[in-house]
Amino acid sequence: VRRLLRDPLLQFLAIGAVLLGLHAAFGGKESDAPAKIVVSAAQITNLEQTFARTWQRPPTSDELEGLIEDFVRDEVYYREGKALELDRDDIVIRRRIRQKMEFFAEDMAVAEPTDGELGAYLATHPEQFRSEGSVSFRHVFLSSKRGEALEADAGEIAAALAAANGRDAAALGDGFLLGGEFSAMRRSDVVNDFGGNFADNLFTAKAGSWQGPIVSPFGLHFVFVSERTESGIPPLEAVRAAVEREWANARRVEKLDEFYRTLRGRYEVVVEAPPTAPRPEEVRGAVR
Amino acid sequence: MGNTPATALGAMILFVIAAPAGVYGQNHTPDKATIVKSLGQTEFSPYAGRDYPTRVFWGDTHLHTAVSVDAGTMCRLGQEDAFRFARGEEVSTTYGLRAKLSRPLDFLVISDHAEMYGLMPQLLAGDPEILSTDAGQRWYAALTSGNTDAVFGTAMEIVASLSGDEPPIKSSKAVANAWHAYTALADRYNEPGRFTALIGFEWTAIGGYNLHRNVIFRGDANLANQTVPFSQFDSKNPEDLWRHLAAFEERTGGEVLAIPHNGNLSNGRMFTVETFDGNPLTKEIAELRARYEPLVEVVQIKGFGEAHPALSPNDEFAGYEIWDRSNLNGTELKKLEMLRWEYAREALKTGLMLEQKLGVNPFKFGMVGGTDAHTALTAVEEDNFFGKHSGVEPEPNRWKHVVIEAPDPKLTVFGWQQAAAGYAAVWASENTREALFDAMKRKETYATTGSRMTVRFFGGWEFSDQDTKSRLPAGVGYAKGVLMGGDLRSAPAGKAPTFLVAAAKDPYSGNLDRIQIVKGWLDANGEPHEQVFDVVWSGERKPDADGKLPSVGNTVDVRTATWSNTIGTPELIGVWRDPSFDPTQRAFYYARVIEIPTPRWTAYEALRFGVTMPAEVPMTTQERAYTSPIWYTP
Repeated sequence: VRRLLRDPLLQFLAIGAVLLGLHAAFGGKESDAPAKIVVSAAQITNLEQTFARTWQRPPTSDELEGLIEDFVRDEVYYREGKALELDRDDIVIRRRIRQKMEFFAEDMAVAEPTDGELGAYLATHPEQFRSEGSVSFRHVFLSSKRGEALEADAGEIAAALAAANGRDAAALGDGFLLGGEFSAMRRSDVVNDFGGNFADNLFTAKAGSWQGPIVSPFGLHFVFVSERTESGIPPLEAVRAAVEREWANARRVEKLDEFYRTLRGRYEVVVEAPPTAPRPEEVRGAVR
Repeated sequence: MGNTPATALGAMILFVIAAPAGVYGQNHTPDKATIVKSLGQTEFSPYAGRDYPTRVFWGDTHLHTAVSVDAGTMCRLGQEDAFRFARGEEVSTTYGLRAKLSRPLDFLVISDHAEMYGLMPQLLAGDPEILSTDAGQRWYAALTSGNTDAVFGTAMEIVASLSGDEPPIKSSKAVANAWHAYTALADRYNEPGRFTALIGFEWTAIGGYNLHRNVIFRGDANLANQTVPFSQFDSKNPEDLWRHLAAFEERTGGEVLAIPHNGNLSNGRMFTVETFDGNPLTKEIAELRARYEPLVEVVQIKGFGEAHPALSPNDEFAGYEIWDRSNLNGTELKKLEMLRWEYAREALKTGLMLEQKLGVNPFKFGMVGGTDAHTALTAVEEDNFFGKHSGVEPEPNRWKHVVIEAPDPKLTVFGWQQAAAGYAAVWASENTREALFDAMKRKETYATTGSRMTVRFFGGWEFSDQDTKSRLPAGVGYAKGVLMGGDLRSAPAGKAPTFLVAAAKDPYSGNLDRIQIVKGWLDANGEPHEQVFDVVWSGERKPDADGKLPSVGNTVDVRTATWSNTIGTPELIGVWRDPSFDPTQRAFYYARVIEIPTPRWTAYEALRFGVTMPAEVPMTTQERAYTSPIWYTP
């Protein structure tokens, strides 16, 4: 649809539609002189080209005459139909006109952002671009399959880790399908693999020594966090493409709204009370 | 006597410690083979050689947005909303509900229908070129009438028109425009390492008989723009689709693959032993299929396509979310003899037979799940299910609304019959288009019904129970075996295949009940067989006299839509050796992981909206995963 917009003819039509619309909105008056229909040379060329695209040859002079007469017929009916306000209640025309107006406004919004604009957007919408925190850690895992012994075993492991300063940790505890050591793991991946509660605890655990145990759906984990990157707002260079994407989207929405509000401001809108209808059944309950 | 052993042991330790000094004293450097032998592993560093995938990536290979002509009749969410939702952002649905996934997905293929690609948004915008067609005008009037029945009727008409010979609305320029807009959008949302937007489309041929395929590109917009979506108006014959893909690869140097789906609704047409024209399958066509269709979507909202109870009467878990009354649009009743050409397990067996005959196995595929949602929302969590299309998005009565209307009311499909499923799990070295695509090609994938459990499956000749005690089972698996989707050939004398299989639960879903291995094989007469083996399970259960493992039980409280993980287990690992292996017979093996019962989406729905559904509506489910097979070829 965007591409359609770049079509120069459509742009021309859109601008024309806007001008017509504005003209009407300002209450322009029809002249009393007999209305004139001018079929310009450019218009005739256009008719010829359209014909040639379909038929793969130029029109004969008879055919061209017919095309021009048909164009005039279009124009006459268009003007008279409009004068009779036949377009007013036609949903197809209304939608098409609205769409043209919106295209027009969206086109006005297309622009290449400057670094300053992108920087400002990043500064005012930091949360949209926040990078995820990550963590490098290893763990000693005690499977919940140990059952009642789990707590006592955890005590022994804690003592062993303390005594040996964790040097032989790799030999302690149970094997774990996802592995024993994780490097620069993003928070969302920790949540996926171990659950949210575990992630909360892991990201607040003291780094550089054995901590825990932390509970997960799998059992207990003593963890040694070796490195942690806090979540943060990256510099513009790191997220330029994303900021451009969001900036363009925000600008489009904003311009469209601005355009509409300006036009809307020209009207006093009176909404009459609708006839009372039974309310549809309310949707209950939270749907995530 | 009491002290003697300890003293002897002490002396031994001293001796052992002293010995290396002697060795080094002679300035002798042992070669690698000696070290490796004494270590019992190939490297000293447990991390060396670990270039195998350590993370599984989750995604959906099958999603429609308003750009699809059928979805576009009811869904107002476009491709950008679909990407945003899949990567974890909140969006507003067509009816204004706020929607968000519990956890982001890692990748997404937006597979809008190739047929009249992108025309629906233009139709709804009143595009004059489209409104100048008869169909365009009629549809436009109906869709903008505000009459729900008229909208639904038109939606069904548009779906039906997808199977016609001529597109009711034809505009190659508009299709190209929409396709280029999509590929550019996918490039913008593709963030290597964080979220992968694979480019794709759906070829929707023989609508009622569902021979549909999702085509996926390995490359970016530059590559994908060298073609436009191949549609059923180009050809209804899947063989032509494969030839088109082959020509595309030849011409561009790019790579593509296709994923067939919903064999269960093909009424006997998806996995047959004939060509499209009804002649016996040839080697050339079998090769094309094997090359371009490495995967099959075995589960999605429109039901399950792996196994059917009538085909697998001894498999108590075969009857999962079955849709088997008719073809897709309910115009032809299902007959029993059609089933064997529809379900993946049967197709894998048929593939062995065809390989014996043609020398090529056209059905050598791995497994993925997809949603096929037409809502732009890949939302199939049981407590967060947004339905098949926007006519059945959450609201109190959607369970009894029509999903697919059939001429015979008995064949009409209702809301409650939708399965909240599934997702594709891909073991890839990193989250990029290239790595994910390559993993799909080598079939290192598994299907789940929506739950995100971790599953490993390796086959080899030397796995033993000791391997289940390994601290890093995946390392042992990659070192000693082939991965899911791989091949075992020419059994060493006296050996039977062994399999290392392990699973860890989805932290947000139920515990695990059991892991099974499904074996299919050809006997000496070329007849296919199958058997399901329980490999490892939770608790102290013992198989009964018939070898059946007792049920894990059920903790679901339907009234409150809750369950407890007091049964089952968070992890399972086991090694299984084929007890009935014959080295002269072709076979395949794949793993199935079953969760304990949890509430089905209908139970959450009944609770939320305070509605009562009839007894025929299932309220519990057992989520499961299916790995790609490992094949044995003599």
